[in-house]
Parts: sequence; C-alpha cells; structure tokens
Amino acid sequence: METRRHQKVNRIAALILIVCLLFLPGCWGKREVEELAPLIGVGFDLGKKPGTFLITMQLAKPKQGGGESAAKIEDRTFSVEVASAREATEMVYKISSRIPFMGSLKVIVIGEGAAKAGFTDIIDFAQRFSEFRRTMYLVLTKGKAQTLLNIKLRDGELPAMSIKNHMEQGNNLSTFPTVRLGHYLTIIGSQSTAPILPVVETIKSGEDGIEYNNAKEGKELHIQGSGVLRGDHLVDYLTDKETKGYMWLENNVQNCLINTMDDKDKVSFGGQVLKSKTRYKLFDNNGVIGLQYQIQASISVDEVMGVKQQLSEPEWVDLMNQAETSYAKVIQEECEMSIKKERDLSLDFLGIGRLIDERDPSYWKTIKDQWEEKIADFPLNLNVQVSVHHSGMSSSSSTTND
Amino acid sequence: MGTTFLPVASIVSSAGGRDGWMIVLPAFILGIPYGLMVLSLLSQFPNKNLLQVSEIVFGKGIGKLIGVLYILITGYFGGLLLGQVGDIYERSIMPLTPISLFYLGTIILVFYLCKSGIEVFARFSEVIFPLIILALILNLTLSISRIEPGVLLPILSEGVMPLFWGGLKVAPFVMEYILFMAGILAFLPTDMKEIGQLRREVWRAVFLVGILDMFVAFTQILVFGPFETTRIVYGLLVLGKMVEVSRTVAGVESLFLGVWLGALVIKISAFLFTVVWGLETVMNLKGLKWEIAVCAVFMGIAFGFVRGSVLISEISFVDNYLILPFTTIWILGLWGTARWKKGKNIRGN
Repeated sequence: METRRHQKVNRIAALILIVCLLFLPGCWGKREVEELAPLIGVGFDLGKKPGTFLITMQLAKPKQGGGESAAKIEDRTFSVEVASAREATEMVYKISSRIPFMGSLKVIVIGEGAAKAGFTDIIDFAQRFSEFRRTMYLVLTKGKAQTLLNIKLRDGELPAMSIKNHMEQGNNLSTFPTVRLGHYLTIIGSQSTAPILPVVETIKSGEDGIEYNNAKEGKELHIQGSGVLRGDHLVDYLTDKETKGYMWLENNVQNCLINTMDDKDKVSFGGQVLKSKTRYKLFDNNGVIGLQYQIQASISVDEVMGVKQQLSEPEWVDLMNQAETSYAKVIQEECEMSIKKERDLSLDFLGIGRLIDERDPSYWKTIKDQWEEKIADFPLNLNVQVSVHHSGMSSSSSTTND
Repeated sequence: MGTTFLPVASIVSSAGGRDGWMIVLPAFILGIPYGLMVLSLLSQFPNKNLLQVSEIVFGKGIGKLIGVLYILITGYFGGLLLGQVGDIYERSIMPLTPISLFYLGTIILVFYLCKSGIEVFARFSEVIFPLIILALILNLTLSISRIEPGVLLPILSEGVMPLFWGGLKVAPFVMEYILFMAGILAFLPTDMKEIGQLRREVWRAVFLVGILDMFVAFTQILVFGPFETTRIVYGLLVLGKMVEVSRTVAGVESLFLGVWLGALVIKISAFLFTVVWGLETVMNLKGLKWEIAVCAVFMGIAFGFVRGSVLISEISFVDNYLILPFTTIWILGLWGTARWKKGKNIRGN
C-alpha cells in the first residue's frame, strides 16, 4: 500500500518536473545582447508642435572586428519629435532595428527650452521604467540638447560618454555640482530647496582663453556654471564663481584648485584644497534668527609668483599667513556672490530653509510659508578659515632680484 | 520575516515621514507579548494548535467560526502574496515574461515544500534565511555612497502621533507571524525547558527582524528622502538597482531578487501550511488533493489581482483591517479566557 502511494507521488513529481521543463526554461522574453542598442545619453528639447518634445537618443554600437580598439563604440544618434518618451523609444526602434536598452543610460541632457518650460513630465519615464537606474547624471545645456549630443568631439568620444566621464571626475575639481536623477528627485521632494544642475557647453578654440589645435576635426566640451530651477523650470544661470560659492556653502568641495593674490597685489598663490568642511549654526541676535556658515579649508600652496627676493624662514611663514588670509578672502567672495544670487532670485538653491528646519523646526514652521519672500533679507554670516598645510617641495622662491 | 522588508519603508515614511524608521522596532516588539501568550497556551494545551484550543476554550461553535475566519484570511493573504511574486518580477526585471509563469513556478515550489512537511520547510528556511540577511546587509551597505546628507533631520519635528499611526501599519507584520505560530504550535515541543527556549527564540526573532527592517527603512529614507521613499513602490528593489561597486559592478539587482524570491516562497509556504492545518482542524479535510486545491485557490486569487496597484492596496487592506484586528482580538481573547478558566478550575478544586 505504502509502495503504491510512493509510486503515485513519484509520478506526480515527475509530471511537475516535466511541466517545469516545458514552461520555465528561463528564457521567456529574452533579448540577446546583439539585438540591443545600449542607450548612453538622452537629450530633451521642446518640439516644434505644442505639447511635444524633441528627444535625442544617443545609442552606442560596439565596433566590430579588429582595428584600433575593440572597446571603441560607434555613435548612433537619433532625434524624434514626440509627445512622450515611450513614443520616442518606439520610433528609434523602428529606425535602428535594435531595441534601445535603457539600463545603460548615463546622462540626460536638458536643453534650455525644455528646462524653461519644465521637464518633470518628460523625465517621468526615466524614474518609472524599471530598466533605468537613478544613478544617471542630469545636466543642462544653453541651447539645444540635440546640438550638444550631435557634436563630434576631437577625441572621437561620444558626447554622452564624455559628459559622464567629466561628471565622474567632478570631485577632483569641485567646480560644478554632480547631480544624479535620484538626488534631483530627492531635492524636489524636499519642497523648500531649489534644484541646481551643471551646465555643459561646447567650446570653440579661442573662447574663454582656451585654444586648441583646429586642424583636428571636432570640438571640446566644457562644464562650467550651473542652472537654478524652480521645481523643474529653469529660472537663471549661476556663473562659474557663483557655482563655486554654492559648492563651498553646500559642503561639496572635496579638492579644488584655488588662486589668489596677496593684499598688495604683488604675489600670487596657486594652491589645491586638500580638505574642506562647511558647518552650519543658527544664531540668535537679539531675537533675530540667522544662519552662520563656518567654512574650514586646508590648502597646499603649489605655486608662488612675484616673490622677487629670497625670504628668511620667518618672512616665509609670514607670507604663508598672508596666503591664508587671501585664500579665505577668495572663498568668502565666491560664497557672497552665491548668496547674493540666492537673494536676488528669491530661490533657495543653497538649501538654507532645510538647514533652518534641521536645526530649529519650530522656527521653520513659522516662516516656511513666506520663505521665498524672506530669503532676500534673511541674516547670514560667513566665517572662512583657511590653513596652509605646506608650500610644496620648497620654501622661499627661486627668483632673486640681486 | 517573510517579505516585510520590501514595503516597510514606504509604509512607515507615508505615516511618519522622515521619522518613520523609528517606529519599526517598537511595532515589532508588539509581537513579543503575543508570541509569549501563544507559548503560554502551548504549555496549557500541549500538541494542539490554537484552532483546537479555541474549540476547547470558546466552545465548538465559536471555535469553528474562528477556524473558518483563520482559513479565509490566511488563504486569501497567501494568494495575494503569490500575486506579489509576479508583480515584483514583472515590475522590476522581467516585464515580458508572462505573469502566470511566476505564479506557476512559485506555487510548484511552495506545494513541494508543503508536501514534504514542516521539517523540509524548516530546513529550506534555515538555508535561505542567512542568504536574505546577507543580501540585505550587502544591499544596504553598498547604498551608503548614495546617502543624502541631512534628510533625517529634524528628528520628531511632527511629534510622536504620526509614529503611532505608522506603528499600526507595521504591527500586522508581526501578526502574520503570530498567525503562523498559531498553526505550528501543534508541532512544537512541550516540556518546560524547551518552552523556555522557544520564549527566548520569540524575543530573538522579533528583535532580529525588527532591527533589520528598521535599518531597511532607515537606509531608504536616507537615500531617497521621505517623499521619494513613500512614492517608490518597492524601495529596496530601486536601491538594488543603484548598487555600483567601483563603477565596474552594476546591475546586480537580479541577484538580490533571487534571494527575495526565496523570502516570498517561505512566506507563501507558511500561509499554505496555515490553510492546510486549518482545513484539517476545522473541517477534517486532509490529504494531497486538499493541498492541491488550496494551491489552486492561491493561483486563482493571484490571477484575480494581476493589476499591481490593486494588489498592493489589497495586501495593505488585508494586513490592516483583517489580520491585525483578527489576530489581536483572537489571541488576547483566547489567552485571557484560557487563563480565567484555568483560574476558575483551580479555585473550584
């Protein structure tokens, strides 16, 4: 009786296994790598027709065969005017004969027009569809995203890949914010803080004091400054210095290069920030609440110009003390420019509201509804302290007057 | 533990905002008195599950009624959890695979575990549980680089009331565990030494799972901020997608999902067991055909909820309005009445 029961169970188990083999081979809905077109960059511009967007998709196609390098990728960039991002995928699929694969997307470029009109709706696809990751970078461009993604770079790299590489190296210079989609969504969720995105542009030889060999066909990309948004609408741009001020105030400076002159404008110091920390404190000055920024930076002096005589050790120490004061002044000026911009725009891209909320939530509740009006005259104090750790491999100067 | 780590962050942040993570552990601790009550009933009624105990304590009629409710609630919830397997996979990594395959694959595994008995199920859980812990720890630690500074501050700016409401939404998680305990009781040892060991295990299980779930909620709020944490359906899956190791390793969410499937299988199996035990106790329906019938019901329920958003709101409804009130009232009432009757008998003697 027991044996017969076992046989019955074994038959059922065998049946289940056959059903599994038939229906669960694990390849349902599979897509071979060769059928995919990895999406590297996407650009959003306003379309010509109302309610449409011009979506530019930069797809990579790995180069086949030998040659210079198997890792090189060919550019396949398409622009389509559509009402939704999904529609763009369909149209590109029709043209490219490969399925655009979203999981490889590195950069979203927002054109000026789309940024001014608002772009939350069009990036909804990027945060909703499961193939995307929230780690992709968001950047702005003055002009059209389509133009930026279609330029040919002198080193042959895809513009989207080049922007991604710039972003990944951003911490080395700390001159622009690196904003990932996830961070942008968190910031707009905070409601009081205005998002900020870095600005990417092309640069011609001779512009901004940069020259390069024009004989080689192509252009160069330049990331400088940033755009301030109210929600998802671009309001204004920050200059390079204002953006640097933002980086200091946001405690985003890891390493950056910094140049200054002594107070007589005779000696210049070039240096690198080794470490920086910005702290925040609320102060109460006779019932008036304000925010105190305390910036501490450690700098190494790598370049001293304009010293015309050999200095004794005490004189060198004195000069480095002057350098500290001058560096602090530069940082202070950059921060003040950024604060001025915040007050002028009445937009809290510095996240001061959040800082108040973190430190004194009951006070924040009394002002949060009129916060944008209050930004213009909200008391802010800056205290910048710089310490020069060393002056490189030598003291004094190699130049002498005698 | 089951799959509580998947929705916990969204649930607590919707109620308590950035402070939501604080309520996870206290809400789980509610499981300790309930677990101890169940074990106290075990020592009073050895080798009987709580449905049998209910019939003894409340009488046949009420006992059967409780048994039917128990079967309906756990059966319905088990079917919804089976539906959640399809929903998770379809949403996150395999959108083109027919949803029925996820149901079928899972139910076969669940049926096999149930058919093999409680010991095989326990061994399966013993193997999978460390993997779940490891995957959770990896997922959370590899997300540290994505943390948004300052999102957790200010602490308790909205007071403690939102946390209380958040706690009410987490409490059903431990009540699911108590429902399973109510059924497995008949298989547990009954001598005093081992009941003492079981009591310690209740404490350990509640604290371990409570702390882990608290860290899951804490990390998600730290990475996404309270607003986004509430909005994201399965935050842990999104977190898994964001894992990058040194810009070279990415897209490892599928590995995590494999482990989460293991967790789901454990939870669905637990509910299949509760239904099977319930049928056996209340209606004396036992054997292979009834196990297959319950699996078919699970499949039917899952197919009834292929719309993900409806499924999620139904799971939340069953948790908050069926499992929580039913379990809290039943266990408390049963334990209280059993003690009262015991006291009366002692006084009577």
